[in-house]
Amino acid sequence: MDVRTRWAAVRFTITFLSLLGGWLLFTWSLDVGSVLAGIASSLLVSALTYSFFIDETEAGRRAHLPRVHVFLLFVCLLVFNMYVASFRVLWKIVKGDINPRVVHFRTRLKTDIARVALTSSITLTPGTITLDLTEDHLIVHWLDAQTTHSRYAGELIKGMYEKLLKRVWL
Amino acid sequence: MNVAALVFLVLGAVFNIMGNLGVLIFPDVYTRLQASSTCSTTSVLSFFIGCMLIAGWGPMTGRLLVITIFFFITNPIAAHIIARFARQTGIVPWRQSFRKDPESGEQDG
Repeated sequence: MDVRTRWAAVRFTITFLSLLGGWLLFTWSLDVGSVLAGIASSLLVSALTYSFFIDETEAGRRAHLPRVHVFLLFVCLLVFNMYVASFRVLWKIVKGDINPRVVHFRTRLKTDIARVALTSSITLTPGTITLDLTEDHLIVHWLDAQTTHSRYAGELIKGMYEKLLKRVWL
Repeated sequence: MNVAALVFLVLGAVFNIMGNLGVLIFPDVYTRLQASSTCSTTSVLSFFIGCMLIAGWGPMTGRLLVITIFFFITNPIAAHIIARFARQTGIVPWRQSFRKDPESGEQDG
């Protein structure tokens, strides 16, 4: 069993477990027939798509096995920030006083999925939209810009997200 | 439980209305995208939380959770793609200084 086959087996297993978790969450029942159907369809789908779900060159251990408790903390922080920023944008809409700018900054995150999570959470937070992401360079449109200084703007926008995501994925 | 659900549903309605108002008020494509996509994200999240509180612990909450996860993955990507296309087309973002001096079309800073 060479390293390529073993890596394919690991990717297959991770895809299968993710799909089965989604199936159980969606059906919400532990009947024998239901679970067997879920296992069969998960096997079929993961056999077809495991090479798309996880890239062959994406080999870091933390890239696929996130720390779940830190991730839950991150989601709570994200939802809280979304509400706070929503009220801020609401106030901006009422007053009509906006100062939009495009800012550039870099991120220290290494894995692809962590970068995608960072850009998605920046876009999910009202008031900021990610315009582009090349390697580690982010371009962000900021509705209420307080600064255009790269490092300071990055600290204000990604701040806690990056620290937590670094602990979730690397 | 029902009062909390009501609070979240009202919050969602307020965010949705104000987000759509922002689409009408704001000056260019990026700021309009900010108002529409991001405020509506929060409003839909509020609706889902309200529905989960009404449904209680059961199969419906699992389905709502799956829908919420799907929404959280797809919605920022859609907004990002629109904004990225607008940037690559070469649309210059609106600035505050445009309003003060509309005669000269140049941008500062």
